[in-house]
Amino acid sequence: MNDVTYGLERLLFNLDTLAELGEELTSPKDFNKIVKSSLYMIMGNFSAFKGAIFQFDHGKKTAKPIASKGIGDINDCVIKLEEETIKELVALKTPIDISSNKKATSFLGVGKTGLEKIKVRILAPLVVREDLLGLIAIGEKFSGEVYSKDDFRLLSVIAHHIAVSLHNQSLLRKLMGKYDENKKLYENLICIYYDTIHAFATAIDAKDAYTKGHSHRVSAYCAAIANEMKWSQDETEGIRIAGLLHDIGKIAIDKSIINKDRPLTNNEFVELNSHPVIGYEILSKVKFPWTGIPKMVRNHHERVDGRGYPDSLGSNEISLGSKIMTVADSFDAMTTDRPYRPSLTPDEVIMELKKNYNKQFDRDVLHNFFSIIRKEIVGENKPAIMPFLSSSFADELKTKVLNRTINLFSFEK
Amino acid sequence: MSGKVKNFKELEGCVVIYTDNYLNDIEGVKLEDECDVFLNRGKKKIVIDFANTELVNSIGISILVGIMEKVKKRNGILFFSSLKKVNHDIFNMLGLTKHISIFQTEEEAIGKMLAHE
Repeated sequence: MNDVTYGLERLLFNLDTLAELGEELTSPKDFNKIVKSSLYMIMGNFSAFKGAIFQFDHGKKTAKPIASKGIGDINDCVIKLEEETIKELVALKTPIDISSNKKATSFLGVGKTGLEKIKVRILAPLVVREDLLGLIAIGEKFSGEVYSKDDFRLLSVIAHHIAVSLHNQSLLRKLMGKYDENKKLYENLICIYYDTIHAFATAIDAKDAYTKGHSHRVSAYCAAIANEMKWSQDETEGIRIAGLLHDIGKIAIDKSIINKDRPLTNNEFVELNSHPVIGYEILSKVKFPWTGIPKMVRNHHERVDGRGYPDSLGSNEISLGSKIMTVADSFDAMTTDRPYRPSLTPDEVIMELKKNYNKQFDRDVLHNFFSIIRKEIVGENKPAIMPFLSSSFADELKTKVLNRTINLFSFEK
Repeated sequence: MSGKVKNFKELEGCVVIYTDNYLNDIEGVKLEDECDVFLNRGKKKIVIDFANTELVNSIGISILVGIMEKVKKRNGILFFSSLKKVNHDIFNMLGLTKHISIFQTEEEAIGKMLAHE
């Protein structure tokens, strides 16, 4: 091979290495693999048989190996760099031959011992914007040839590429750290948010000894129906929250009216029936991540026959969420003891629901609600409603549905 | 090397290792690991046959240099055979041909290896 051919061949090989290095450094592979590949490329290009890439830790002022070859286990080879050495390395810009450059030997200080241990011949600082990010250290060439000027220039270019990659990786790591921090904060906020809503629901129910747990049950029933009606996860979460808060307006109602075990006077009725509007006014001022919560709360006593309150809306004017909430709320009222009556029996509850089909309750919602009960009884659905019922009520309902004493869907005929 | 070491052949006095199509990515360290296994078993005469190898890049060179160094340290003998011209030129350009015996064919390399004391 003559000199011209050799020069051309060498140039092409170097260009290939640079092109492959660029591809490697921008690949989505694991960063440690990228660094390892990069080191292999450098060593192969110079046919060196020892080499390592160190990452500099600004806090500890140490350079720690992140890839090595031909040196054995060098994880313990942490190079301490003094402040002066760091400045000198940043100022260097180009690789140095530490075996022949006396100046280099002196400024490396204590760090030189570590490098000598792994028989480093050439040291290339990895610098981006006057910031030392690491070092490339390579040993002798296998061929025994000395490193040429062109080798130094090529290593300088390679070092710059690797430095930028290390810089980007460091930025990415910082960004990921911030992301994790923010994610934790967000999760904590979500927890606080839910805890607050649950505390509100408990406070609402605490006003009435008979309705303990009512809001939590209505919330669970609403979510079960929404889920059965194929609402999205986000929409289902919205109605779950609306269920927890649906009676928030009762906070403003006199406790003696809520707990009265005798028929209410007209004025007392008016006051009690104002709770959906009060609830709407309270919740309208809250910025929920879900839409429609205040409206669902306002309209949960509306009826599809237009005889509900507070706005006597027609079926088309009532949102599906409110229609779901009406069924959930009424079912819980019927299945729990009240100051003025004990819980209804399963026969009575199902009959009452069917009797009010297309009057108080929406057809689709009721159908889906019965469908959930059936599926839970036959084991097709994960229990979402049955666990909230008293065991005697649940057992009787199950037995009667299974032996067809109760036909959930007969109203459709 | 895109895949694993394709094959090897253990003879009475030496081992022949056949490389894959490419010796151009970090997966190629498997070739070095394969040689380590033989060296650790006391096999000191190794032939690496490149008949199937189209391309050796800088990563491949680094792996081969690693093998050459390890065999040298164990006082072993390493021959290369069946190198494509393009790969031979790269070895030559990097000065490696001065340090390794390269044969036209696997048989020739085995013959020399077995004759070697």
